[in-house]
Amino acid sequence: MPHAQFMKRLLPIPISITLASLFVAMWTAGCGSNSPTTQEASGQGEKQLTVGVAFETLQTEYWVAGFEAIKEQLAKRNIKVLEAIANSDSNRQFEQIQTFVTRGVDGIIMVPKDAKTCIPSIRAANSAGIPIVLFNRPAGESDAKSVAVQADNFKLSKETVAFMIEQARKTGTKHKAMVIMGDLGDINAIGRRDGFDAAVKGNEDLIEVVSRVPSEWNQEKAQAGVVNALQAHPDISFIFTSSDFLFPSIVSAMKTAGKYKKIGEPGHVILGGFDGDATAYQMMKDGYLDATGVQDVYFEAEATVQALLDLRGGKDVPTLIQDPGFVIHQGNMDEMTPKMWGANIRK
Amino acid sequence: MSSSPRILEFDSVEKSFFGVKVLKAVTFDLRTGTAIGLVGENGAGKSTLMNILGGIHTPDAGYIRMEGEPYAPRNPQDAARAGVAFIHQELNLFSNLTIAENIFITTFPRVAGLPMIARKTVRERARSLLDQVGLSVNPNTRVESLSAGERQLVEIAKALSLDARIIIFDEPTSSLTALETDRLFELISTLRARGISMIYISHALSDVMKLCDDIVVLRDGEVVGKSRTAETSTAKLISLMVGRSIDQLYPERTGRPAAERALSVRNLSQPGIVRNIAFDLHDQEILGISGLMGSGRSELARILFGLDPFETGEVLLWGENLPKPSPRQCVRMGMAFLTENRREEGLCMEASIAENMALVSLPNFANRGGYWIDHGRLSKSLTALRGAVRLTRSARLSQAVRTLSGGNQQKVVLAKWLLNRPRVFILDEPTRGIDVGAKYEVYSLINKLASDGAAVLIISSEIEELIGMCDQILVMRNGEIADTIRRPDFDRERILRGALKQSHTTRTSPVETARHDPESR
Amino acid sequence: MVKRLIQSEYLVLLLSAVYFAALAPFTPGFASTGNLANILSSMLPLLVVAMGQTFVLIAGGIDLSVTSTIALASVVGASVATGDQGILSGNSLATPGGILAMLLVGATVGSFNGAAITRFRMPPFIVTLTTMIFVSGFAVWLTQSKSIFNLPTTFTILGSNVWVALPLVAVATLVMHFALSRTLLGHWIYAIGHNKNAAEISGVPVRRVLLFTYIASGLCAAAASILYTGRLESASPVMGRNILLDLIGATVIGGTSLYGGKGKILWTVYGVLFLALIDNSLNLLNLSYFTIMMAKGAVIVMAATIDSVRNKLLNS
Repeated sequence: MPHAQFMKRLLPIPISITLASLFVAMWTAGCGSNSPTTQEASGQGEKQLTVGVAFETLQTEYWVAGFEAIKEQLAKRNIKVLEAIANSDSNRQFEQIQTFVTRGVDGIIMVPKDAKTCIPSIRAANSAGIPIVLFNRPAGESDAKSVAVQADNFKLSKETVAFMIEQARKTGTKHKAMVIMGDLGDINAIGRRDGFDAAVKGNEDLIEVVSRVPSEWNQEKAQAGVVNALQAHPDISFIFTSSDFLFPSIVSAMKTAGKYKKIGEPGHVILGGFDGDATAYQMMKDGYLDATGVQDVYFEAEATVQALLDLRGGKDVPTLIQDPGFVIHQGNMDEMTPKMWGANIRK
Repeated sequence: MSSSPRILEFDSVEKSFFGVKVLKAVTFDLRTGTAIGLVGENGAGKSTLMNILGGIHTPDAGYIRMEGEPYAPRNPQDAARAGVAFIHQELNLFSNLTIAENIFITTFPRVAGLPMIARKTVRERARSLLDQVGLSVNPNTRVESLSAGERQLVEIAKALSLDARIIIFDEPTSSLTALETDRLFELISTLRARGISMIYISHALSDVMKLCDDIVVLRDGEVVGKSRTAETSTAKLISLMVGRSIDQLYPERTGRPAAERALSVRNLSQPGIVRNIAFDLHDQEILGISGLMGSGRSELARILFGLDPFETGEVLLWGENLPKPSPRQCVRMGMAFLTENRREEGLCMEASIAENMALVSLPNFANRGGYWIDHGRLSKSLTALRGAVRLTRSARLSQAVRTLSGGNQQKVVLAKWLLNRPRVFILDEPTRGIDVGAKYEVYSLINKLASDGAAVLIISSEIEELIGMCDQILVMRNGEIADTIRRPDFDRERILRGALKQSHTTRTSPVETARHDPESR
Repeated sequence: MVKRLIQSEYLVLLLSAVYFAALAPFTPGFASTGNLANILSSMLPLLVVAMGQTFVLIAGGIDLSVTSTIALASVVGASVATGDQGILSGNSLATPGGILAMLLVGATVGSFNGAAITRFRMPPFIVTLTTMIFVSGFAVWLTQSKSIFNLPTTFTILGSNVWVALPLVAVATLVMHFALSRTLLGHWIYAIGHNKNAAEISGVPVRRVLLFTYIASGLCAAAASILYTGRLESASPVMGRNILLDLIGATVIGGTSLYGGKGKILWTVYGVLFLALIDNSLNLLNLSYFTIMMAKGAVIVMAATIDSVRNKLLNS
């Protein structure tokens, strides 16, 4: 019986929660549908296009930069954007692509979780006749048709490492080298490793690779690996990482070993990376980093959107569009900085 | 005494629920520093009356006055502020917290100006409160390691910490041992001498007679009797409570024990629990086990039913040796076990009456092989069964067991076993916490089982109950059978002597030693 | 009226209908046939795992290991059935062999959980949490965190074609519904969930029944894994990693109690339906992943609140 009275006081709580959440749901829904309507009104009579952008993750700066660049490109062409982030869940990503198809978008831009799990998604887009372009990660071989825009990992890392070797040669001594590899299930990681190996080949007189650290794209693993390698080979003086985003781990390990020195200082380790993120930009500005291979996010974003429009227009588009990228180093830093995405996000 | 002022007056208090009048013009007084006994069967209106006093309900008509001033608490906090404290049947302590934390749970003394608990003050005040209730245990002991009696003392200490002037006891002794009960009664006398008044609610009429100055009998929401304790008797109270005269508390036994042994126990021992237990239980026999809490009586029952292991000795069921009995095997062989702990081990409180009644015998209602339950046949059996145990007519079989009174809950437990037609019953405290009328019904049912051929083992802390019901009584002490008494020699004194001898001078349980160690947490 | 509604066991079904009706006009494509098929296809695997979980929850336990069971079953089954150097690569028995291997994984993980919980009396939360961590690590180690592809069409069609999966799941749902509501085993599961001690004293084979619930949950996880794997035409050692919230959420929204003794397979169906509707509609409304997570969390908390209010109403 005591509950009866208690209840009278308590009952309004769930009701108000319900109302509040309904209100919030409607409000967000309202926002979601309002802004495009205003855009539509400002359109020039022609039907406004809608493109679904599905990213696997926004966990690293590179993806955020790519996401922003693509949205900018689409906005420039007055194309409405639907966003979807799968948070590294390929199953969810599949559902998100299905949703795009259901909504009848005019095109899909996708960063797939991996090369194969995206195939059912591509197939769903194919069967609905919706063009689909994969950003930065191409799909595996199958009957599903898609176009991919990707940095030329092999070429760009080879160029970067070649530049580093040039610096090494100037010192006039032999160097022991360490390479930090990515997740070898990722085609990008394989390309970068092969690029490194190709650049070193023929320069064995100068560079001896004493340590290959598998990071699996994981900061902790990279850190532990680098610490161990520096312990085993205290005389390492040449380090290349397959991605700039691992630099915080690498630098901390180097500091512990007392090997983090500016260029020109005695004991400087020749340091190179790949991606061109904000950390790399800062390190370069501060004079610690020798070179990094920059993926040209702006080029990739524009090529992606252009490919999508070309596909809609029925034009022939190659299945793989490669971004040559560029190597940024102390020598060309001032000139190339505006094109380096990592330099533009830290503001 | 008679001249002491009235602290509390109930004047024509009325209350209805859903159009049913549960309190009708209830009028009586409580005088300062006295104890009033409030007795009546379940449903007589005692709890409703106390809920009004505690601010949970408001009366539809009538008044309560406290020291002459109108008293109308709107919630339990109001009542507590006015100095009314409740010591409940199911104790309201947090067993994972310490004694001190429990006492001050609502009113932790703070460090002046800071939202921090003044630990030292807490400890000191708890110490002094525990001294007042005569509990010599470290205030930092966790409540879970206390016995039921000690927990009750903690509750009383908590009431004292709130400066209670009126303390209401609701069935305080139902889970206490004889010793603990004595200690409680002493404490109640001391508190009375300090001018604290009590309302004492209990089914144990002998306690009420011993303790209270006045007794008020409620029946169907009406005060049917009000008198000084000296001017009444247990028999009078019972007839007032049930509304008819009961010639005796225990129904007549028909039939005598047969020669066939149903359950035989030989030299049963489990270190630290029981030692050298041996007895025979015959068909149609009612055998009682008496003893203090912790004497091994309930532990023995658990061993016999296969819930706990034994090291040496034999248990024979109809001559068949059960070297390692399991509850499942015992159930299959026709044994029934009504545990002392109805809520925790007897019933699924949230499940329906029907589900509870069916639980033991479900396999009998499953089709062979398919395990498909025949609900038609089951519900027919259940309908017949509820009549057999005289379950209250107002209950629906689909209703949750939780909503039933203690007596009816116990009938459901009995019913669930009866459906399996067992031949050996182990009944641990079969009438704990149920009212006089229901007790009589349970006794009749047990008698009928015995005269129909079943063998019954009753464990009880109510010596009168064993004397009234059994053919033979075993008295247990420290895990052993201290005495065996046949019906013609039944003697309350002899049973008590057997149960008590030396019991608290030589034996200190490991639990107790650990508990008094201030370092152990 | 409000009281009646809150007490109704069809509340969630009703809410689903109201939600659908309310959002359909504003949400492009929500009511289209294609989208309904999408909702169904995201419902089915979740429903299969949730049904197993319902058994465990009613018996008063919890099985957190299902997510990693899904992952392990996925990679084990795929490594049997795949055309890329699978154990039965190219063999006509590849599909049945793979499925059998997956179910075996489910049964093994379930047996382990059940045995640890009943034999060593360890708390289900700890046991299944540990199993989850171990099994998920095992799945990653086994595959070196690579996905497995090139599965036979006979295998993938189970997950990729809703109309193949639907009748199978429907039959499984009916079987589990009747097992719970009409059989001896079902009654025992409820009794154990209400009060394990009372059940044991009443002669219920508590250990065996509990063991059964965990094996059932493992098998359901494996069956769901077949659907998930088929849907993506690939097996991944991290498959199912994110469904735990959906899973527990759906059962709780349906009304199954986390304290045991209360729940129904049909309630779980409603719960899964409701969650799938929310998920799908919020996706269609182009809300971000994180907003959707927040909305789902709010809905689950709301369901738990309604449940406790409902209990209080029934008690008073």
